[in-house]
Amino acid sequence: MSKIEIKNLTVDYTEKKNRFTALRDVSFSIEEGEFVSIIGSSGCGKSTLLSILEGINFPTSGEILIDGEPIKGTGTDRGVVFQHYSLFPWMTARKNVAFGVKQVNKTASKAERLQIADEFLEKVGLENFKNKYPSQLSGGMQQRVAIARALAMDTDILLMDEPFGAIDAKNRTILQELLLELWEGDGTSPRKTVVFVTHDIDEAILLSDKIVMMTAHPGQVYKEIEVPFDRPRNRAQLVQTKEYNKFRNRLLAMFYSDIVNKIGGEEQSKNVTSELCISCLSRCCSFSFCRIN
Amino acid sequence: MHFLFIALLLVQLLPDKLTTETYAGYVVWFAVGVEILTLIVSALIKKPLGLTLFADIVSFIYGLLIAWTLATAKFNLLKPSLFPPPGRVFWQLIGDYEKIITNILSSVGIILQGYLLAAAAAIILGLLLGSSERLGNVATYIAKFLGAIPPIVYIPYGIALLPTFRSVSVFVIFLATFWPVLAGTMSGVMNVDKKTLDSARVLNVNRFTMLFSVILPASLPQIFIGCNQGLTVSFVLLTSAEMIGAQSGLGFYIKNYSDFGDYTRTLVGLIVIGIVIVVISFGFNKIQKYLLRWKH
Repeated sequence: MSKIEIKNLTVDYTEKKNRFTALRDVSFSIEEGEFVSIIGSSGCGKSTLLSILEGINFPTSGEILIDGEPIKGTGTDRGVVFQHYSLFPWMTARKNVAFGVKQVNKTASKAERLQIADEFLEKVGLENFKNKYPSQLSGGMQQRVAIARALAMDTDILLMDEPFGAIDAKNRTILQELLLELWEGDGTSPRKTVVFVTHDIDEAILLSDKIVMMTAHPGQVYKEIEVPFDRPRNRAQLVQTKEYNKFRNRLLAMFYSDIVNKIGGEEQSKNVTSELCISCLSRCCSFSFCRIN
Repeated sequence: MHFLFIALLLVQLLPDKLTTETYAGYVVWFAVGVEILTLIVSALIKKPLGLTLFADIVSFIYGLLIAWTLATAKFNLLKPSLFPPPGRVFWQLIGDYEKIITNILSSVGIILQGYLLAAAAAIILGLLLGSSERLGNVATYIAKFLGAIPPIVYIPYGIALLPTFRSVSVFVIFLATFWPVLAGTMSGVMNVDKKTLDSARVLNVNRFTMLFSVILPASLPQIFIGCNQGLTVSFVLLTSAEMIGAQSGLGFYIKNYSDFGDYTRTLVGLIVIGIVIVVISFGFNKIQKYLLRWKH
């Protein structure tokens, strides 16, 4: 049995009498201890999918099973890191982590919770910032705290919604490597199941065991791709290999072909949404150009 | 500043033109007290900007006292019964201190009781009402309507309804504080960032934790806006109410003595009220700053 099974998930939105299909008939599964990235251009419903996994959004039809049980709402088996505002601004870094621990571990005393918080803040390199409020921390530091909280809660599953999307390139690289290191661990404890939403192909390749590529309007699974690189991974070594570049180009090609197909189809049928799609294409192109350069 | 201090002392040495006792010694003692306070403060305050501000305020007080002394005791330019010399006011202040303390306690007691009751009730009710969008919306309009009525107009009705003057005062201060705090709390609760709520939801917090550990602190800045408004109105109300029908309190002290033409004591009352309000506001700001220290 897979850890997470997504079965025929469809989500419709009604907004100002217009009906949108955010996700149509999405199905795939995630094994225990697997790191899966969901990648796609904006509007492909990847964040919607994650919000259903988080338990704060519900599908129109279909279901998600965790350990064979359908999701009924939020749960203590899942830890979440958002792109923004995961932290409570009125709590210090350490209180934020301890608060998360408290929600899953009701028996721990306050001192024990703070000790766990300190331990995980040290893992993300913030032991000297533990008494700072989020407003006193940079965006990258805030995400470190959010990761520390999710890890300290010690949930089976980790859900991450573009956690490094708003971080500058240099810090993003550092955080990706930190996450990779923390997740791969030293092999003594089982790895957590991670669902990681991103629009960055390099990030997805570096971190994942499997990449689920999605297409937009409506959101559907385009391809599931296994990432063939051994662990533990090292970015500097990995990016120099031929295999890496070949694999990356293949993914990029898929990414384009999907978008080009979409635009062609939309124009033929003179669909109103074609305008939407062109704006989405220009975004994707600018994004991929900067990747190629 | 120290120059003004010396000038103030020298001014006291000029011959009095006023025939009644001017108690110049009290001004000297007051000025010496302020000087000592200044020395203590300059040792405690580290920020040069804060120190300059303090020195400027002290200079202003000295300047005012010099002008006041000259206009009254020394040159007798103003009508002595309406404008007593400063020494006389200080003398009266010290002579009346027991009465003044009793009146301060009476006024502050009423304010605290009405204000704290109202704030606590309004915050709890606001949290509960604000959690439901529909209830929150309707309650916001009701709070705006009822809050728009100047609370002072409740006084006659309160007197008819309630047995003692004290209970009327508490009731009116309660109303004056309750509506703005309720409106502030609901606006805070209803505008909590959805991302913050989602973060709490994915942490699986229970309803109680959600309300008191997430929604309450997130709405605190807005709650304080309501509390500030309530506090300002409470002072105005209480002193006005005390001037209408009380037998104690600072408003009563002023009204009572001005009725007898004792304007020295009227001035004493004005100064004391000013000091009491500044002290309470200062304490309130400290609390607010501490509770909102996570902002910025």
